[in-house]
Amino acid sequence: MKTKITHLLVTLFFLFTGAVGVAQDNQEEKLKLLRGTLLSPKAFRAAAKKIEPALVKIDSFGGISTVAGRIGGIRKQGEGNTTGVMISPDGYFVSSSFNFVNQPPVITVVTSDGKRRVADLLGRDETRRICLLKIRSTKENPVKDMPVPTFVDPKDVKVGQYAISVGYGYGDDTAAVSQGIISANNRAGGRAIQTDANISPANYGGALVDIRGRLLGVCVPLNPRAPSVTAGVEWYDSGIGFAIPLHGLEGIIEKLKDKKTVISPAYLGVQGQFSVVNVGVKIKKVLGPAKAAGIKKGDVIVAIGDKIIRDMTDLRFALSRNVAGDTISVTVRRKEEEQKIEVKLGKAPSSSKKKIEPFKR
Amino acid sequence: MLPIKLILGLTIALISICCGDVQAQSLNGIFDKAIDSSQKKMVKIFGAGVGRVESYSSGMIVSDNGLIITRQGVFLEGNQVRVITADGKTHEAAVLKRNREIQAALLKIPAKTPDHFKLTDKQVGKKGDWVVAISNAFKVADKREHLSVTLGCITLRSYIEAKRNKRDIAYKGPVILIDCITSNPGAAGGAVIGAKGELIGMIGTIIKSDETNTRLNYTVPTATLKKFVEGKLDTTAVASTKSKTPKKQADLGIRMMKFVGKREPPYADKVTRNSPAYEVGIRPDDLIISLNGKTTKTIADFNEAMSEIEPGKEVIIIFKKPRSDEIIRVPLKAVEKK
Repeated sequence: MKTKITHLLVTLFFLFTGAVGVAQDNQEEKLKLLRGTLLSPKAFRAAAKKIEPALVKIDSFGGISTVAGRIGGIRKQGEGNTTGVMISPDGYFVSSSFNFVNQPPVITVVTSDGKRRVADLLGRDETRRICLLKIRSTKENPVKDMPVPTFVDPKDVKVGQYAISVGYGYGDDTAAVSQGIISANNRAGGRAIQTDANISPANYGGALVDIRGRLLGVCVPLNPRAPSVTAGVEWYDSGIGFAIPLHGLEGIIEKLKDKKTVISPAYLGVQGQFSVVNVGVKIKKVLGPAKAAGIKKGDVIVAIGDKIIRDMTDLRFALSRNVAGDTISVTVRRKEEEQKIEVKLGKAPSSSKKKIEPFKR
Repeated sequence: MLPIKLILGLTIALISICCGDVQAQSLNGIFDKAIDSSQKKMVKIFGAGVGRVESYSSGMIVSDNGLIITRQGVFLEGNQVRVITADGKTHEAAVLKRNREIQAALLKIPAKTPDHFKLTDKQVGKKGDWVVAISNAFKVADKREHLSVTLGCITLRSYIEAKRNKRDIAYKGPVILIDCITSNPGAAGGAVIGAKGELIGMIGTIIKSDETNTRLNYTVPTATLKKFVEGKLDTTAVASTKSKTPKKQADLGIRMMKFVGKREPPYADKVTRNSPAYEVGIRPDDLIISLNGKTTKTIADFNEAMSEIEPGKEVIIIFKKPRSDEIIRVPLKAVEKK
């Protein structure tokens, strides 16, 4: 009996010490977490400080008068101070196209060296809501050796990691910061990342950086389902914000150097029929590019390229990976027979009725 | 057998207590104590409702004898202002003073309030620091229920200028912009504290930024609140703009086009010969970019910047000639307007 009790006691002792060991591990983990949380404000400041030299303050003068109305509760879009992110030492920088809806004829930028120079608006990518600008270099004020941030590959961005938005929209000399985390990857056809840091006209065109101050993306208003350039503004400061990673965009940036470049969202021109059987999208109505390529009413789209299409969502996703002008291969089933049709994607017909001319002198 | 069972039971209980406690604590973070101690210092305030203007607000206790700071607003106009303290007790409050510039009001309840925030002259909190906003936004909490808390950080320390003739922006003074959303009905008057429970300031009334046209989430700093409570707040600056005799107007010799909207960009229409502007090379069709440190995007901006210039004092003007890449920055002295 006695030995039994001793055995039991010994076992229990080991069990208990084991538990204390676990408890200690937890304690250490807890301390680590607490220390990290306490130190993070320091890291936020350091991250903002690291990106600030690569940011430019933008002022624009003139352009279409904004009496036309409000957008997402914001009356004077694109008239305040805005921000841009330098991407090359010779003065190319990226900003949000939201900041230039007015088509301002005069744009000036103040770079981190404190100098104010004239800048030109070049091409824009409507699928990403970004645009490229270039600072004019003059003899007295040559543009060279501009600081450029480190771009983070979106593949390395993890949901839940810290994200800090930095921008000059409030008009102060120092940038405003907002902290949050990455909320989602691969939004808007893989073009955007989502964050819960505050994104608003105060930092559209500004930078979203990681805790080390490297560029995760350029802050933009975005609504993955609405094509308008200002869509998504209504979500400002809501915890739903977007940034466009610039890593791997060299080809697009090169295209945007031409002032005439406008990269538009892809438009196929089909209206699908709602169905509960996920075996493709049956076409109810055919317009534009799809009609021109020979897709007919009653056809069932079963694949785009090598992507199998089960429903409208699949179709929308597959299309969002392309832009207007791209040629895609659409597999349709017509009378039990599958055939491949090449379609040159077009631009969605514009919904705006009147054209307004910018104020020029 | 009894002792074995007893030992076994006790040990299991001990192990579970030990692990359970650590498990619970490890997720508590650094803000719980600060929030716990601050909730006792918060109050819910109910007053009169007029139309769509909300009749409630948040408030914070700032002395041991029942002084409470809240937002200034129509809800204080009624016959009765009710204050509900953290213990769920209702008190009738007297409105001691109100201030339009900082949009704050000082109330007093007939009760001892040992738990209260200490106002300080010091600047509390740096850009990037954690903040917790405590408020009764949307009247979510009732009676002795605790107020809602949200976590964020300090976005920027800035300054807001009340625009004359603009009724929706009625705040003038230093602000601390924060990134937790406080621009919601009923949140104003709430407290913004740091990670250690130190008071950073009071959640301000809902206003829109003139720069971004977005709702601002901001805090009136504790130093400003202290001045307000002590009656040391300098409000002459705003008041004087109306009462003072008109000061001498400055002139640079630049005339803007009169028949276009005030929101058009400030292109010089005429430049008087031998005027200060003419001397530094400004000619018709030049675009004025900045005057006296203020960016002039519109004719209205230009007129406003002009109104702040004193004759005889040197100012910096930045302008751009048409079809030129160069931006010119020169000092010049304004003369008195004839």
